[in-house]
Amino acid sequence: MKNRLVVMILTAATVSSLMACGGGDGDAASGGAEGTGVSITIFNSKSEVQGQFEEMAEEYSAKTGVNVEVYYSNDTVAAHLATRYSANDPYTLAMVDAKDIYSLAEDYASDLSDQEWVDKTDYEISVNDKVVGFPVCVEARGVIYNADAIEAVTGETFVPEDYTTLDAFEGLLEKLAAGGMEAPAGIMKEDWSLAAHYLAETYEQQSDVEGFISDLYAGSADLAGNEKWNSMMDTFDVLMKYNYAASSPVAAEREVTEQKLAEGDIAFMFGGNWDWSVISEYDYTENMGMMPVPQNTNDGTNGKLVGGGSKYFFIDSSDNTSEEQRQAAKDFLNWLVQDGEGNQFLTEKCNLVPAYTNISAAALDPLSVSVKKYADGNLLIDNYNYLPDDHLSVCGAFMQEYLAGKTDRTALAEKVAQYWMAATPIEH
Amino acid sequence: MKTNTFSYKCRLYLMFAGVSTAVFAAVVIIPFIYGLYLTFTSWDGVSKQKPFVALQNYMATFADTAYWQALGRTMIYSVIAVILVNVVAFILAYMVTSGVKGQNFFRAGFFIPNLIGGIVLGYIWKFVFNRAFVALGESFSIGFLSTSWLATTNGAMLCLIIVSVWQYAGYMMLIYVAGFMSVSSDVLEAASIDGCTDVQTIWYISVPLMVSSFVQCLFLTITRCFMVYDVNLSLTNGEPFNSSVMGAMHVYNQAFTYKNYGTGQAEALILFIICAVVGVLQVYVGKKAEVSA
Amino acid sequence: MDENTKAAQNKKVRHVIKMIILILLFACFIFPFVLVVINVFKVKADITSNPLALIGSHGFTLKNFPEAMKKMNFWRAFGNSALITVTSTILTILFASMTAYVIVRNKWKATGALFGMMIASMVIPFQVLMIPLVSLYGGVFGLLNHRATLIFMHVGFSLSMATFMFHGAIHTNVPLSLEEAAIIDGCTRWQTYWKIVFPLLKPTIATVAIIDAMAFWNDYLLPSLVLARKELYTIPIATQVFYGTYSTDIGLVMAALLLAMLPILILYVFLQRYIVEGVTSGAVK
Repeated sequence: MKNRLVVMILTAATVSSLMACGGGDGDAASGGAEGTGVSITIFNSKSEVQGQFEEMAEEYSAKTGVNVEVYYSNDTVAAHLATRYSANDPYTLAMVDAKDIYSLAEDYASDLSDQEWVDKTDYEISVNDKVVGFPVCVEARGVIYNADAIEAVTGETFVPEDYTTLDAFEGLLEKLAAGGMEAPAGIMKEDWSLAAHYLAETYEQQSDVEGFISDLYAGSADLAGNEKWNSMMDTFDVLMKYNYAASSPVAAEREVTEQKLAEGDIAFMFGGNWDWSVISEYDYTENMGMMPVPQNTNDGTNGKLVGGGSKYFFIDSSDNTSEEQRQAAKDFLNWLVQDGEGNQFLTEKCNLVPAYTNISAAALDPLSVSVKKYADGNLLIDNYNYLPDDHLSVCGAFMQEYLAGKTDRTALAEKVAQYWMAATPIEH
Repeated sequence: MKTNTFSYKCRLYLMFAGVSTAVFAAVVIIPFIYGLYLTFTSWDGVSKQKPFVALQNYMATFADTAYWQALGRTMIYSVIAVILVNVVAFILAYMVTSGVKGQNFFRAGFFIPNLIGGIVLGYIWKFVFNRAFVALGESFSIGFLSTSWLATTNGAMLCLIIVSVWQYAGYMMLIYVAGFMSVSSDVLEAASIDGCTDVQTIWYISVPLMVSSFVQCLFLTITRCFMVYDVNLSLTNGEPFNSSVMGAMHVYNQAFTYKNYGTGQAEALILFIICAVVGVLQVYVGKKAEVSA
Repeated sequence: MDENTKAAQNKKVRHVIKMIILILLFACFIFPFVLVVINVFKVKADITSNPLALIGSHGFTLKNFPEAMKKMNFWRAFGNSALITVTSTILTILFASMTAYVIVRNKWKATGALFGMMIASMVIPFQVLMIPLVSLYGGVFGLLNHRATLIFMHVGFSLSMATFMFHGAIHTNVPLSLEEAAIIDGCTRWQTYWKIVFPLLKPTIATVAIIDAMAFWNDYLLPSLVLARKELYTIPIATQVFYGTYSTDIGLVMAALLLAMLPILILYVFLQRYIVEGVTSGAVK
């Protein structure tokens, strides 16, 4: 019977050792009150501002007594939140993409319709007539230019408004190439850039977006013969022709492309104002900006960027979050919009283009300045937020094939059309 | 004490394997069964509703051509990688047990790749393939290095295989080293006195005595290659043109990115069954050989 | 020249060839680390534009290290990682070797079934268990955000493979006659195991210790699911912010990699000696 004793001792030792090292962190899980204040957790999905958010959280906690912790995950936003909800351990406040709101809102998002900031923005998201998504910023897509690099070759001041047509743009590229900048353009090969940003513009610039998309689902849209499709692809062909990485376009790394753009080795790249966070890591020039994708068209789309509200906060509505925590989260959102320090955090610290009319933004980065200019001039074409979940990955691969010269435009149109006919529509 | 009564056996089992069985069941078996149940629902991974849909996910799996392509690709990758990993590991193990100077140093060196996690490792190699090799190729004008291998379908596959060999060879070497060292030196001496060459000694003496090392290494490499995910994600992320998406990555995307959790889970289950059949068959055959050796 | 010197010369030549091959292979294996060491002392702009240069145009910098350490809260993460790795490894070795022993020495239906399930479980893709695991342990039991839960799961997941390795070792390296002698001398099974079998397993213990310690130290997915609070972060979770979804700060990744690698490298060098010693002392059998 000595044996059994030994086993029991061993088991007890194991259990107690487990208990021992588990002790002390038990309270952390409850997310409850700390001292007199409330604790809230924020999930941030913009990795480039994680540092700023953490700093802000510390200051905010010290000032208000509400303990704020900011988290980031490099997992897919949807997957990460799925695990947190499965674990009954959601974030009080989570920053997600627009399409995530639609899948999460019904079960997990609090009604924010009565909040003051709702009247100060055009970009909030509503589901079932309730406001649930707090827009964090405005972001837009277009062609990023490095004016210094262009002027160094041409010797003239670069006026982006002169190059809204593809003919003019191609003329400039030719001039740059002849002037010594052999390949003045860069194309990001990442599927999100190709499919979710560039290809998406061919839908978003249609005169009737919803109608066009339902035609795509039904298989009745003639993509290959569509004017906008061809106009966008014409521009893409020109970018491909002058791509610095033309010999191996799908090997172009984002970091390298952005460095070349920042330092003036290339002059143009299709992208968005979020690219500044990468560009600013290099020896950049301030003399940069964004312009619409040049196209030979007269429908006005070549005078507009595509974009709008981007990244949305929602407040958890499940039982895992207490009323006090929800209130603290609402206070925090209000602080961002109504308080001078909150405004400053958004615009100056994080370099985000504000989505609220009452926030002035004086100290933005050059790309955001462009975006703000277009946004203020009402020159933004809306994002289409309901692309099917696999659009990015599947059509991204098709676009990469095209970029690598493995398919022609007709075949690409055919593949994209086929994709849409098999895709599952997103309810909205 | 009687040793063949049921209660004695029970006590013996519980004494040695009781805790293990409990922990194993709690962490692996029960979640697995719950996961199995989820394959019969059309859950999207996050909503509160988990509607029961019977076999619909399995039908979707059979209709998902991208999945079967990914599986086929995983097979090709696994066969090549498993062979190369084991050949390289065996050669390494032989060399570092043959009494060369500094063999401990070499052993440590070959093992180093295992000291870092798969995700970081993928990023480092991506850096090597995309930047370092290209920079080397450009400065010495070596044609095949001057464009990144990761940009072509076959190149991406090659890169994955290279990284797998680099990552696992040192690990498997460790097991083969233990195998080589368990072959008693008397036998080897006898063989050498009888005039066997090195190759003959390895082939006729060491290899048969090392069957259990082979079984272990093959099983480990087969299962790891089949389940490759981390390196796939950080090295190629499926690019170019989704042509390097392996089974596990497709399953992950299906479940979480495309939000078809049930289908993803069903596809993962099929991946698991294929891998289990191959792996267990290999162990079974190996263990047979072990007995006869 | 007589036969002996010729043979000796032959041997020497072969030795040199082996050495050359080894050094070449070694260079291949170590190449990425050389690159890491070269680039970790550069700023990001230089890493991107000239990865092979020893010193970039912005000069030599040490800033990647303190920056990485600060951003990941290195010492706290290190403490968590160390506690979790050490405890999990010890428990795994104890339980797995005992389990393997009972499986090898008793051909019962129960042991066979357990071993079969363990082997099969080694090929379960972790993604299959991920959501059920958090649903159960978080959703039902509310046990997440404890280091103990992670240790428990680490042990559960690594038991299969460790048992598998001990199974092979006991099967081939532990002579049954020794055990029988001990039993005749009046030892119980339990005593026999600890006095005779366990000491003979030293090389395998060292191997399993390295392999599991490494796996625990580097594991990302499981800890990221179980430990969702900053104060519990392990090193791999703490470094994730360096490789964002869209952009990678490779300088910080490299610094973090070197910082995380050192402790485990030291453990390896220490245990490696042990493997050799263990094998030679066990060879007396």
